Amino acid sequence: MVELACQHCNYKWDYQGENEYYATCPRCRYKVRIPEDKVPRVGRKKLSLESKKKTLTEKRPVKLRGIAAIVNKVVQEAQYDKGMLIQILLKLQRSFGWLPKEMLTEISKQLEIPLSQVYHVATFYKAFSLAPRGRHLIRVCMGTSCKVRGSHTILERVQNHLSIDKDGTTLDGKFSLETVNCVGCCALGPVMTVDDDYHGNLKLPDVDRILSKYR
Amino acid sequence: MEKIKRLSSRKDLEKLRQEIKNNRDPRQRIVSVSVSTCCVALGALKVVEAFKTELEKQGLKDKVRLKDTGCSGFCEQGPAVTIYPEEIFYFKVKPEDVPEIVTKTIKGKQILEKFLYRDPATGKRSRKLQDIPSYKHQLRLLTENSGKIDPRNIEDYIAVDGYSALEKTLFEMSPDQVVKEVKKANLRGRGGGGFPTWIKWETTRNAEDEIKYVIVNCDEGDPGAFMDRSLMEDNPHSVLEGLIIGAYAIGAHQGYVYVREEYPIAAENISIAIKQAEEFGLLGDDIMGSGFSFRVKVHRGAGAFVSGESSALMTAIEGKIGEPRPKYVHTAVKGLWGKPSCLNNVKTWATVPLIVLKGAEWFKSIGTEGSSGTAIFSLVGKVNSTGLVEVPMGTTLGDLIFKIGGGIRGGKRFKAVQTGGPSGGFIPEKHLDLPVDFDELNKVGSMMGSGGMVVMDEDTCMVDAARYFVDFLLEESCGKCIPCREGLQVLSNTIKDICEGKGKDEDTLGIQDIVTTMEEASLCALGKTAANPVLTSLKYFKDEWDDHIRNKRCTAKACRALIKYYIDPQKCQACMLCLKECPVAAIEGGKDQVHSIEQEKCTKCGACYEACKFDAIRKLSAEPVPPPPPKGMKPIRKRKN
Amino acid sequence: MKNLTLRIDDKDIPANEGMTILEAAKNAKIEIPTLCHNDELEPYGACRICSVEIERKGRTQLVASCCYPVEDGLKVKTRSHKIDKIRKTIIELAAVSAGIDVTGRMRELASEYNADLSRFRSKVKTDPTKCILCGLCVRRCIEATWDTAIGFIGRGVTRKIATFPEKVSVCTNCNHCYSVCPTGRISSIGADPKFPEVDDILAGRE
Repeated sequence: MVELACQHCNYKWDYQGENEYYATCPRCRYKVRIPEDKVPRVGRKKLSLESKKKTLTEKRPVKLRGIAAIVNKVVQEAQYDKGMLIQILLKLQRSFGWLPKEMLTEISKQLEIPLSQVYHVATFYKAFSLAPRGRHLIRVCMGTSCKVRGSHTILERVQNHLSIDKDGTTLDGKFSLETVNCVGCCALGPVMTVDDDYHGNLKLPDVDRILSKYR
Repeated sequence: MEKIKRLSSRKDLEKLRQEIKNNRDPRQRIVSVSVSTCCVALGALKVVEAFKTELEKQGLKDKVRLKDTGCSGFCEQGPAVTIYPEEIFYFKVKPEDVPEIVTKTIKGKQILEKFLYRDPATGKRSRKLQDIPSYKHQLRLLTENSGKIDPRNIEDYIAVDGYSALEKTLFEMSPDQVVKEVKKANLRGRGGGGFPTWIKWETTRNAEDEIKYVIVNCDEGDPGAFMDRSLMEDNPHSVLEGLIIGAYAIGAHQGYVYVREEYPIAAENISIAIKQAEEFGLLGDDIMGSGFSFRVKVHRGAGAFVSGESSALMTAIEGKIGEPRPKYVHTAVKGLWGKPSCLNNVKTWATVPLIVLKGAEWFKSIGTEGSSGTAIFSLVGKVNSTGLVEVPMGTTLGDLIFKIGGGIRGGKRFKAVQTGGPSGGFIPEKHLDLPVDFDELNKVGSMMGSGGMVVMDEDTCMVDAARYFVDFLLEESCGKCIPCREGLQVLSNTIKDICEGKGKDEDTLGIQDIVTTMEEASLCALGKTAANPVLTSLKYFKDEWDDHIRNKRCTAKACRALIKYYIDPQKCQACMLCLKECPVAAIEGGKDQVHSIEQEKCTKCGACYEACKFDAIRKLSAEPVPPPPPKGMKPIRKRKN
Repeated sequence: MKNLTLRIDDKDIPANEGMTILEAAKNAKIEIPTLCHNDELEPYGACRICSVEIERKGRTQLVASCCYPVEDGLKVKTRSHKIDKIRKTIIELAAVSAGIDVTGRMRELASEYNADLSRFRSKVKTDPTKCILCGLCVRRCIEATWDTAIGFIGRGVTRKIATFPEKVSVCTNCNHCYSVCPTGRISSIGADPKFPEVDDILAGRE
């Protein structure tokens, strides 16, 4: 049993768990480092990262490469907190563009979460894409207000113009099309966003004009 | 701003407020441009840049202050520019107009008529906001400051008496007194359920656990609703202040703000607000020297409507999938990580400072007996003035749609208004004098919900609208329990068949069994209320359903499988516009030859109908299509008068 | 552990605090049908067949007995015309995705409640999968291995159970997934992928 004090919110408690490096503050969920002298390092927990077996001391840290490095940077910022899985996936999705299988496997290893859970979270939420996306992401809003003003004709027009289906990517990799349920610009229906730009009050000829700007 | 000194006592805050007010000259020229998401979509950022360049060019950079503010509720009239101290409101300003405004209004003090607000229904111009019909019927309590302050500058908020409610709570009231005040005011949750807020607060407060959480629900999944986005973007500090007061009353020291993924600006603004509040000592340890500590974290959503349900939101914050759980043990007793958690909507938290500052009696005097205070609605759809409106509870639907909304667009006839999002229902014309109130709307089968209000006119098919909501819920259901997942699938396919003309009379009977099962046996409120749109549509518009099933006719001429397009040869002017717009080349005709549509090729997309300027294209449903005109028929030219 | 009494079907049943209605009923030998429940696993509440009617503060409502905690003096009804009709509809709805060739516990319940498994099938055009997504196999595998070889993916109608090829080596051939499946979807004993692989599902090949 170790007495720990959270440096973030000053909460003090008696830690009775088995972790050797980090404990979670029960109040604010921040990770608190367990001082080395307070816990005897009784053997290592079964670690699944192959390279961790080669780590002997802190003087020779293992350098991670490729996807493992990209993932490790974000996971470290989140302090290896399992509860931050969705925020970590969001950051990786935004910076990398999509979530390849290797990335999900790395996250499962580094956060010590079962792979099935990582996959379920990544396929449950619509913001994550497990297939490469085009350079520009087009999202057509299908909320009630936009629908009443004819957003399905706008969607059809985009589909015809780019020859792709909903949730598809053009062959040249320039555009990806998705529908979204309400971006919050309901007064300007129908609305379409391309990357971070919002386009409202759309009429059919506007679609061609906007898409040609991004080509 | 000089170096920020952390406020360590009540006197410090009062001194700071006085200092800020003194430093602001009421005669200072300020140009404020609205930069909320809707205005940015209409080009507000370019207008800001144009102002920067023009003010620099004319040497007014030091004399005139340029400010970014939130929105004032006139969503389709953006970009909106306000000039102080005269309070001149200009709308629909384009970057090219900026030099003229700077020269004539800012320097020359001349008001330009063409930029003043123009009523879409009457065409009248209004100089003051109070003269605008849709504005003067409102009571803007929560949204009053949205158009006046810079959401990314805490000093603006402090200058309008911000954080004085927090001051009063921490130093003059005990936690019990705060809960009593909220109880006396009869504040009901603005997230949709209308549950008395004080009961939730008291249950969390009395739960036996040292650690408690408070959560802000900004996952506004209802399509057609954007009130929470607007409040979070334009006045995040009001929400933060309410959250701190609530945490003090409940005894929580950690709070979470859950913002959905589709609202990037709202998430940014609340993060900046939290950081600034921490710098000033209004968050963190020992707030203003009162001994109360509180911290807030922001969590982003990832695109799931179901994660707006309170138990699903908590599992989403825990990093798992957003699956609701049965609430036999309330989340106020066992919520986030098994600890007592109090979850409330953005608007509920933002109302708390007003109640504390102005008193429960004042709040109760507004609104009706059962629902006090004001309600914010997003009035969208087929009305003339769309936007965010705030009215006292008890205002009738008719007033909202016709007085404030300005009536139906294009002079068409009103058909129904949809309230409450996918859990609500359609309200027909005969109930237009219903006062807007939590309980009254429940009586007609709908509900108030979060505040989305979509107006539909005679061109909207009610069967199609019911299908839209069922399809929406089918996509957003979490899929855990059988009644909701499979029931919605069967409902969706049944209504699709009806819309395509394959419906049978016994379909409406088969729906009843499924609806009862979903209502009684579903796990969460999404499944339980999923059938409301279908039930209200069947109840009030049964004739349209019968028309679809028996006569294979769509009354509103909207269901594609049941309509055909036809060009009237008497009206066609052979201008070739529709010919060019048709994506499948189904229109035959030439420069001087009347056009006609080949029915086998036509996909009924409606592009020709939108393009025709002479009203020559008609939609026919369950009527025989007249034969095509003889080849080479010349158009009957209309004489220009 | 506090002792309390509740009334199930007009009989006084003793129970301990912290039990669910289903547990108390089982102890008293009262039958409540279940599909997604297993005594060794945490209650899940997905199938809703165990719904019973309770009376509380003058109002009746339907709750899932596998999750509802017992209260002193609670009045419970396990069979009635309304409850039977709802259970029948739930089985018919479950057959929408699962199809009509189900075996095992689901077939028994269908004959007990006179459910017509093909009633709503005509409305849907997807292939029958024989799976009602009760999650018993996944939950059992998590208990046994932690890092499972099978898991859920997707949400709503697109929710499916998939096999993760990298994790197939984790399978210890305990065959518990075969023994708990209530519809006969898992028909073979052994470690071959019993469900389509996750890459195939995501690519739309399954």
